Amino acid sequence: MPRRHVASPAVPDALIAVVVWMLALLAGASPAGAQTAADLFNPTVLHRVDLLMHSQDWEKLKQNFQENTYYPADLQWNGQTVRNSGVRSRGLGSRSGTKPGLRVDFDRYSTSQTFLGLKSMVLDNLTQDQSGVKESVTMRLFARLGVPAPRESFARLYVNNELIGLYAVVEAIDKDLLARVFGSIDGNVQNDGYLFEYNYLLGSPWRFDYLGSALDPYQARFDAKTKEDKSAADKWGPIEELVRLSNDTPASALAPMLEPRLDIAALVRYVAAQNFVAQNDGFLGYDGMNNFYFYRLEDSTRHVFIAWDEDNAFLSADFPLNTRHEENILMRKLMEASTWKAQYYGVLQEAADSAAQAEDGQAEGWLLAEMRRQLDLIGDAMREDPSKPYTNDEHAAARAALLDFPAPRISYVRCESARATGAALPAGCS
Amino acid sequence: MPKRTLILAVMAIVCLTTAGARAQDQAGQTGPANEAERGFGWRNERPSLIFGEDVYVSLRAKAVFDWRGFDPDLEEDTFDLNVARVGLKGELTRHFDFEIEREMDEDGVWQDWKDVYVNWDTFDLFQVRAGRYKLPFGLEQNLGRTEIDFIYRARISTQLTPARDKGVTVSGRDRGLGYEVGLFNTDGDIGKLTEPQFTPGAEDDLGPTFAARVTATVFRPFVGEDAALRSLRVGVAYTNGNLPEGLNSLRGETPYGYDYFEPVYVKGRRQRLGLEFDWTPGPFGVRGEWIQSREDRLGQGLGNRDLSDFLGTGWYVYGTWIVTGQDKDDNISMRRSVLHGGPGAIELALRYEQLSFGSASSEGLPERNPRAEHLFENRDRIWTAGVNWYVMPHVKVVTNAIHEDFEDPARTPLSGETSFWSGVLRLQIVF
Repeated sequence: MPRRHVASPAVPDALIAVVVWMLALLAGASPAGAQTAADLFNPTVLHRVDLLMHSQDWEKLKQNFQENTYYPADLQWNGQTVRNSGVRSRGLGSRSGTKPGLRVDFDRYSTSQTFLGLKSMVLDNLTQDQSGVKESVTMRLFARLGVPAPRESFARLYVNNELIGLYAVVEAIDKDLLARVFGSIDGNVQNDGYLFEYNYLLGSPWRFDYLGSALDPYQARFDAKTKEDKSAADKWGPIEELVRLSNDTPASALAPMLEPRLDIAALVRYVAAQNFVAQNDGFLGYDGMNNFYFYRLEDSTRHVFIAWDEDNAFLSADFPLNTRHEENILMRKLMEASTWKAQYYGVLQEAADSAAQAEDGQAEGWLLAEMRRQLDLIGDAMREDPSKPYTNDEHAAARAALLDFPAPRISYVRCESARATGAALPAGCS
Repeated sequence: MPKRTLILAVMAIVCLTTAGARAQDQAGQTGPANEAERGFGWRNERPSLIFGEDVYVSLRAKAVFDWRGFDPDLEEDTFDLNVARVGLKGELTRHFDFEIEREMDEDGVWQDWKDVYVNWDTFDLFQVRAGRYKLPFGLEQNLGRTEIDFIYRARISTQLTPARDKGVTVSGRDRGLGYEVGLFNTDGDIGKLTEPQFTPGAEDDLGPTFAARVTATVFRPFVGEDAALRSLRVGVAYTNGNLPEGLNSLRGETPYGYDYFEPVYVKGRRQRLGLEFDWTPGPFGVRGEWIQSREDRLGQGLGNRDLSDFLGTGWYVYGTWIVTGQDKDDNISMRRSVLHGGPGAIELALRYEQLSFGSASSEGLPERNPRAEHLFENRDRIWTAGVNWYVMPHVKVVTNAIHEDFEDPARTPLSGETSFWSGVLRLQIVF
């Protein structure tokens, strides 16, 4: 129908626009109202996000970027404005006074306020990844592999109409994400369990060894994000129990002991996926465990891991498949069991296959194509970014290095997985 | 605890000694001191060093002990050494008087200076005071602790008035009409800047503040000496001072220190307007005040827009009745104190008050962020019922039942709860 109108010189374009608009109204939604969180996290679009703040608040946030002080702001995206939001500096090693990483809480000053159904979102400043896409590519791959992970997109961020730079728009790990990722279990929407953000303690690497019966060390590492008003025993008691049992139980008896308390299969999948992308600062990080959320399912004693902050991925194509398995008590014991070992290498194979699989219309495997697509999407914005802590030449070098990762990594993983499991070596393995 | 006990013991000893001396005075030596009197003695019911008829220095001391209970439980301390102060007050010839007072905390550590001033009072119509003392704003704020009828001052007195500062005041009184006009260094202790300042040295930009107050016993020229209306007094007061940019506004705070309205960003002027009345016919007392603070928010909105004024508005009204019959107008007589075998004086008191904070603008949806054009208002409404027992000179026992009700459930001492009860028993020793 619209094509016929367009083709007719007797009907002006303005009339068509009016008709389309009226139809949209009749459908019960204005064009702006049709926006959803999926649109905000649409990874194929380079968005523009505007923050309207008081100029001194913005200066104060940059000066005191190590603090978590909130400042009021209006956020604009795609013609929509959410007022009365709270913005603060965020991050650990990525904190910056030049290009601050930001957390936007829509419910900071109004507990019931949401934006596109979201209570908050993260604007990742991309200061630790010169390519700009490591984390978003990783999260996309994790989603393909069934690993709980946030959605991400890219945006040029403007504060008071001044371009600050290129940011990743990251879905916050909160009740909305929990409901989206875990859905409904036994008729119970999984959005009200115990959620913890793992707190990396500088100089105190932790590899799942038992920290004693007192709950303080667990409280220090697992920062409660929901049910803050519950007792310490309610919040951290089950974690202490999980760690204690992991340490005290022989490897042969570990699975039945832990299954009620930990989704082992999900953990193995998560660690294997992290290994595939050569993540050096994750569950088996170089300085102990790091960068994850931990969720105790609603009305359950079982815990699951949720991926977070994967911008140290793609370290090298020959990143060993058993990196630091021996160091982490839980991982070492799980790998002593043939079932979990087989599953671990099975997920690595699955990841390699998924990365190598060419999608419809693509000449190259999914991982390389996705990297190239994202790099192309952000290219101009990255080069125009006035605040990034690296040069355009460094970004170009990082881009090239990243694009060199998939092919050798896929081969390496396929060959080494076969060797580890005693399977026949695929063609091309030396 | 030992320091607390020590303070209590010292105060009790001095108090009993003072009371004994007063009893002697009342037995025959009331009135002006003998011209020949020198050395240690009693002036104005306080132990004093007397150098002559008009030259003396009196010791002042205050200790206030509170026992408290809360429903629902707010995890507050159930005991509080509310204040311990010592000071000197005296006259230097018939033309000058002075006061020096400093506060001590529960651990016996000296805190801020309270009053430090000299007053030139040769003429009734024109007196000059200089030093640190309370700005002439707020009826109840300018009353001493012994003169207030409840354990806690009304919220408008503690949140909207300036209280003490360094300055100079000219004042006078004639036939029931009084005036006070002063200029002060900043804007008083209550309005001082407590948040970190974005601009270095911004705290120095607070003030100076101009303050003025006029009071009148309006019926005095028209009624006889014994007429009940003679004591009715009304007044109006005003302050105006510079307010530096920052999170520097006045705030809403409960008697127990919870901020139910945190400071918002302001810049410009801070003004206050106060109306007051006070009436003490016989054993009854009626008192009320209305105060509004108005603070500019120039360029404080998102995108540096001007915002509507930030308003703090509140009032209280209360009544008292001395059921043992003493007159409320002057110092309550202690002729029937427990030292003389009587009940002392027993007074019933009831007060209603409310204090709200919000913006002058009510356009658009109200918001809680400190740069909102239309601020989400919060209001604290308080009923206080009390019994005051004037046991003997300088000693008072007060019990208050307090009910607070907040408008915004998100900003109360327990989020989601709007109604709170508390009870306080106070032992107050002041001389």
